[in-house]
Amino acid sequence: MKKLTLFLLIVAFGWTAQAQEKGSVLIQNATVITITDGDLEDTDVLIRDGIIERIGKDLNAPRGVETIDASGKYVMPGIIDAHSHLNGVDINEPRNPVTAEVTMEESVDPNEVGIYHSLAGGVTSIHLMHGSANVIGGQGETLKLRYGADQEGLKFEDAPRTIKFALGENPTRVHGQGNSIQPRTRMGVEQIIRNHFDEALDYKRKREAYLEAKQGFDRNGRGTPPVPVAKNLRYEILNDIIEGEILVHCHSYRADEILMLVRVFNDYGIENYTFQHANEAFKVAPELAKHGAHTSVFSDWWAYKFEVYYSTAYNASILNANGVINSINSDNDQLQRTLNHEAAKVVRYGNTSVNDALKMITLHPAIQLGIDDRVGSIEEGKDGDVAIWSGHPFDIYSKAEMTFVDGKKYFDLANDADDMRIHIEPGTKFEDGSHMREIVSRREADACLQDAFILFGEQSAQQHN
Amino acid sequence: MKKQILWLALLFLGVSFEAAVAQTTPAHALTNITIHHADGSIDESATLVWRDGVIEAAGSNVNIPFDAFEIDGGDSLHVYPGFIDGFSVWGSPDLPTDLKPVDDPGNPPYDRAGIQPDRRPSVVLQSDKNFETGMKAGFTTAALVPKGYMLPGQVEVFYLSDDLESVELLHEQLAQSGSFEEAPGGWTRGVYPSTLMGVMAKFRQLMFDAEALQQHIKYYSQNPEMPAPDRDPVIESLFPLLNKEVPLYFEVDQKEHIERLLKLKDEFGFDVVIVSGKEAYAKADELKDRNIPVLASIDFTDMPDWYKKQKEAEDSDEEAEEEEVSEEEQAYRDKQMEAWKAEVTNIRKLMDAGVSVGYASAGLELKDLADKLEILLNEGSVSEEEAVQLMTQNTAEILGLGDRLGSLEKGKNASFSVFSKPFSEEKAKVLHSISNGTIHEFNGE
Repeated sequence: MKKLTLFLLIVAFGWTAQAQEKGSVLIQNATVITITDGDLEDTDVLIRDGIIERIGKDLNAPRGVETIDASGKYVMPGIIDAHSHLNGVDINEPRNPVTAEVTMEESVDPNEVGIYHSLAGGVTSIHLMHGSANVIGGQGETLKLRYGADQEGLKFEDAPRTIKFALGENPTRVHGQGNSIQPRTRMGVEQIIRNHFDEALDYKRKREAYLEAKQGFDRNGRGTPPVPVAKNLRYEILNDIIEGEILVHCHSYRADEILMLVRVFNDYGIENYTFQHANEAFKVAPELAKHGAHTSVFSDWWAYKFEVYYSTAYNASILNANGVINSINSDNDQLQRTLNHEAAKVVRYGNTSVNDALKMITLHPAIQLGIDDRVGSIEEGKDGDVAIWSGHPFDIYSKAEMTFVDGKKYFDLANDADDMRIHIEPGTKFEDGSHMREIVSRREADACLQDAFILFGEQSAQQHN
Repeated sequence: MKKQILWLALLFLGVSFEAAVAQTTPAHALTNITIHHADGSIDESATLVWRDGVIEAAGSNVNIPFDAFEIDGGDSLHVYPGFIDGFSVWGSPDLPTDLKPVDDPGNPPYDRAGIQPDRRPSVVLQSDKNFETGMKAGFTTAALVPKGYMLPGQVEVFYLSDDLESVELLHEQLAQSGSFEEAPGGWTRGVYPSTLMGVMAKFRQLMFDAEALQQHIKYYSQNPEMPAPDRDPVIESLFPLLNKEVPLYFEVDQKEHIERLLKLKDEFGFDVVIVSGKEAYAKADELKDRNIPVLASIDFTDMPDWYKKQKEAEDSDEEAEEEEVSEEEQAYRDKQMEAWKAEVTNIRKLMDAGVSVGYASAGLELKDLADKLEILLNEGSVSEEEAVQLMTQNTAEILGLGDRLGSLEKGKNASFSVFSKPFSEEKAKVLHSISNGTIHEFNGE
């Protein structure tokens, strides 16, 4: 019995022990969707030690490297979701309108089986975001879906820092209506941002002056020592935003508030930001393009609250046609597994080219997360984060058959065990803990306002994006 | 000169007079007993002599002082070093239940946010029947901490007694305690920090605030012409932790939480002691390398029902009913068993890895202690001798009190328990508990 258990565990999880290792594989005779260099027929992709080493025809597998025949199949870059709450321990720290000091880096649950389910949808990287309860929420964490790795091992190494902002109804309802504090209105949201930036700049001046005076006083001991100014984590992060060290991803819907933030960021010299959801971004597409602002939208999801009624399925296509770097995101664990379908809709609705639509779930989210030098396309020298699809990923009948991160296979449809959980509570009975499908569907779509629904009151508890 | 001699003479007289008084405190001798030492060795037909709360002799060939009050164990009593609870909430005030909403949940008062590092058990301690129940279970000493949230208060060590008045403080301000518990209040009354990441950030900010205030106080003490600091007992109570003068006793179970704790440790450089640590086995090698001790909980998850049934069937010799189990259920059971075994062998794995492991109830109720100990001994691959060592010497050493507590030898504190049988046997009872030399009798109960 003990031996059997051990055996089963080795079969099911043997690979997880080496989860952070890099792998090598030669994928042969596939249609390779490079994203940046068109689709290459009958082409091989050689990944060695986690890096795409060669793309070409009739490549030879180096000694010991597994070969996979992908004749008739497609290889595409791993899908990247620029807006996810897949495996957050907590999503919202909703008790203050500004919580820049908290970070999803410290809220990563590496044991979430949803990671595996997303791998089954060809997803290899996600942007684990703080929720939208606060005007300036917490920092995000870009992850590679190395299922089985620990929280450190899931991190996308050296990915730029990010942070969540949120405009409109969510922060005004949570804080204004919920707690009777600023912001109660959209005007208040703008003022919260400006006030906090100003306070942060003021803090920086004082803190630097203190440190300088302290150094002088401690050195020569003359005069009166300075009154200490404590290091302030929140203001430090806000200053990092102003200094361009953190990419802003802003939850937003209405065109007016989108332009508001563009103006605010212009005033503070902040560049490189992405509007998340941005259902009305199509109205201001030329302005966004002019300012180099990016968007990350749903293909056709709206009307779940008042500010999201004025929406169109042409949003992504209009943004794309205007030269805005746009991605399609999920903000939802289920939708994340079929992001290929979401991108396909952009072709169907707005006649965007197939390759441009594919960019919206690969290269463009990579750009928005500042990781496009590593992932987002199949190019020599980039990371071996790819998926093999049974057919073209925009074909409704296609399935992701294998998913690789750093050249290591994390999902294989042919060896897809029923229960892929890494961690179960020993106190959970079979009756309560065995039905994976039920567990997964019972789980809330871990969306933007998780942990903060209640602050809205009951009526709106279901509205959360 | 004459006067000086007189003074000296008086001085000597005084000293010897005092010494004479001390000598008059009678010794106690417990004879014909079996002594179970912390290291697992056993002295049969042994004698234990103590005076003024200090052990004078323990072993088989012991001279009983002429003035000793002798108690004959009649060769049937088993004496163990007093068990030490390395982290207990006995005597703590209850958590507040009537949480009022606050005007600005983002800036709540410290206590409302669970930030109470200034609280000291020696100040807030309340009557608690657990003190007596604990003694009846073999405990004579406990490191106490108030119930709370992210920073519940300080850890202080006490000799137990059956009434609050005589619970004696042994070591004050031994450590700061902490956990990742967010501020209370739940959905409707919650305040900042209300999440794990919020607690992490708030902890850092408190340390930064303490750093600045300490600097200010220091500057001001030498430069009265500068603006005076705003004194703040809550922040000031973090100075010892900030200055690495006391360790942080952190209640944490999950592997990921241990990793988060070590991150904070690395940022601020204080020593940590892991309290509870149910998944500490997963970090055993790192804990060993970094010399981080664990005051382990034995508050194990109950045995899976199906496993319990199997065990009972095995024990009863009756022909076990063959249970129909689907393949799916069997696979789940295997997984469940693996998880449960990992939990109950935590201490074993930590010891094997060379981690210093002691004992902490960390919220375990005393009524459950015997059952949990049974699991530790029967399923956790820990021997009775190891369990004793864990609860005595090891815990004393982790608390930094190994020089006076945790073993029965000359010069150590006289805190031990007299059991009717070896402590893990069924119906074993504590008949006498000697705590800091004071005898508490539990006969006839």
